[in-house]
Amino acid sequence: MIHFKNVIKTYPPNIVGIRNVNLHIRPGEFVSIVGQSGTGKSTLAKLMFAEETATSGQIAIGGWDITRISQHDVPLLRRQIGVVFQDFKLLPRKTVFENVAFALEVAGTPSRRIKEIVPQVLKIVNLHDKGDRYPKQLSGGEQQRVVVARSLVHRPKILVADEPTGNLDAIHTHEIIDLLKKINEFGTTVVLVTHNREVVNALKKRVILVDGGEIVSDVEEGRYKI
Amino acid sequence: MLTSSIRSVKFAFQSFGRNFWLSIITVSMLVLTLVTINLLLVLQIVASKAVSFAEERIEVSVYFFPAATEDKIKDASGYLRGLPQVRDVQVITADEALSRFKERHAADATILSALDEVGGSPFGPTLVIKAKSASDFPLILDALDNPQFRNDIREKDFSSYEDIVNRIKATTERVQLFGMGLAAVFLLIAILIVFNTVRIALFVHREEIAIMKLVGATNAFIRSPFLIECFLYSLFAVAIVAGIVFPAVAVIDPSMTTFFGGESVGLLSYFQANWYVVFGIQLAALTVINMVSTTLAMRKYLKV
Ligand SMILES: Nc1ncnc2c1ncn2[C@@H]1O[C@H](COP(=O)(O)OP(=O)(O)O)[C@@H](O)[C@H]1O
Ligand SMILES: [Mg+2]
Repeated sequence: MIHFKNVIKTYPPNIVGIRNVNLHIRPGEFVSIVGQSGTGKSTLAKLMFAEETATSGQIAIGGWDITRISQHDVPLLRRQIGVVFQDFKLLPRKTVFENVAFALEVAGTPSRRIKEIVPQVLKIVNLHDKGDRYPKQLSGGEQQRVVVARSLVHRPKILVADEPTGNLDAIHTHEIIDLLKKINEFGTTVVLVTHNREVVNALKKRVILVDGGEIVSDVEEGRYKI
Repeated sequence: MLTSSIRSVKFAFQSFGRNFWLSIITVSMLVLTLVTINLLLVLQIVASKAVSFAEERIEVSVYFFPAATEDKIKDASGYLRGLPQVRDVQVITADEALSRFKERHAADATILSALDEVGGSPFGPTLVIKAKSASDFPLILDALDNPQFRNDIREKDFSSYEDIVNRIKATTERVQLFGMGLAAVFLLIAILIVFNTVRIALFVHREEIAIMKLVGATNAFIRSPFLIECFLYSLFAVAIVAGIVFPAVAVIDPSMTTFFGGESVGLLSYFQANWYVVFGIQLAALTVINMVSTTLAMRKYLKV
């Protein structure tokens, strides 16, 4: 599903994002990427949905070589990958329903379809009864669930979540992780970037440890060792 | 496609509303620019009317000596009428000249008594010549300067209308130059304001734009609301200007007509007949300029 071959990313002028990463994530996997701050986890995630482009090497998503993806094709890729970002917020002037619908509106989905899809994804994140609330009227965990719901509107084959629980307490963190597991069980490949030890240990899924821009360990059913 | 277009228009109106005061300032500046340009247009129409009005009234009087025979005068007037540059020749006989003079000075006893003292009429016949264009007069006068007529002519007299024509032309040119400079300055300011307005709109919408990009909105879709918004600026500006210009012209037109002695300048009828051309061109030009400005702002501040 996700292939990285000798991928190097350097930011101008000469800052190393990641160096020489080889990675293969199979369809339906749930992979955690862990490591200390500034080691290149987000860079890895951004390369997957072409927010950044590789300096060298090769990246393929679902067999599609996106290493030199054109600006024109980026939207196509984005409609196949759900993205949840810590700082990828909700629009405060829109209701929960409108926030989720926005992702479909801007992609040109007909209004009729939007009215069908939004309640469906809100049901998945268990917020179907809060569609007309504004983000302010929700807890942090609920807000993040709306973000997850929004990432699901295009029924992505891959969900990339970069520190989705960064700002949440233990209970809400648990909610979000459960939600990601549920989505994974539906068949979506999930890539979770986190530095939360408990989360990773409880998951008992594949763990990739990144340090200094390199993958230093990659184990099935791993534990966060640092 | 249709859905996306409707949404772009909706987003554009929302953006216009969210930056309401900035939008007002932008439109005002565009209005100011267009008003200047329309003033120039009005000035152009009025000035050309004034020039032709004055040109029609330019005439040269050619005074003959009293001794000049009637045949001579007939020859001269016939000769002049044959010239293609001559519009009209009026013959005033010596007697008519005298009675006109007496009429004009009927109230002035001294002049009339002086006329009596001279004894007989000091006036000769006169030809009043009108040309098709003021610039033809030198040629016409040269034509009279041939041996056949030269010795019978006492004096050639230009009415002062030529001065007026030249003055109107010079003034118009100067005002137009100034107006064009002013319009250029306004236009430059308008372009900068549009640029800045788009820059701020992009900043205000940075979160929406970031989200749009991440959920797979096309670049065209992200850009189009801003392009539509700048078209709205142009449209509103032109509509407002039309709303100013039409009543203004309707008010000025009758007083212009009075000023030109009942001859219509055709200001109102010009705008009535050509409004779609006049304002269409302004809308098109403004839109193109705004699009360029918006595109530059997007290229600089929107990394899509
Ligand atoms: N846009 C950028 N420009 C320059 N340097 C960057 C940029 N993004 C990240 N970096 C640098 O790349 C390295 C890896 O960053 P990142 O992938 O964000 O790490 P992590 O997510 O693990 O904290 C860091 O040294 C960071 O400063
Ligand atoms: Mg990070």
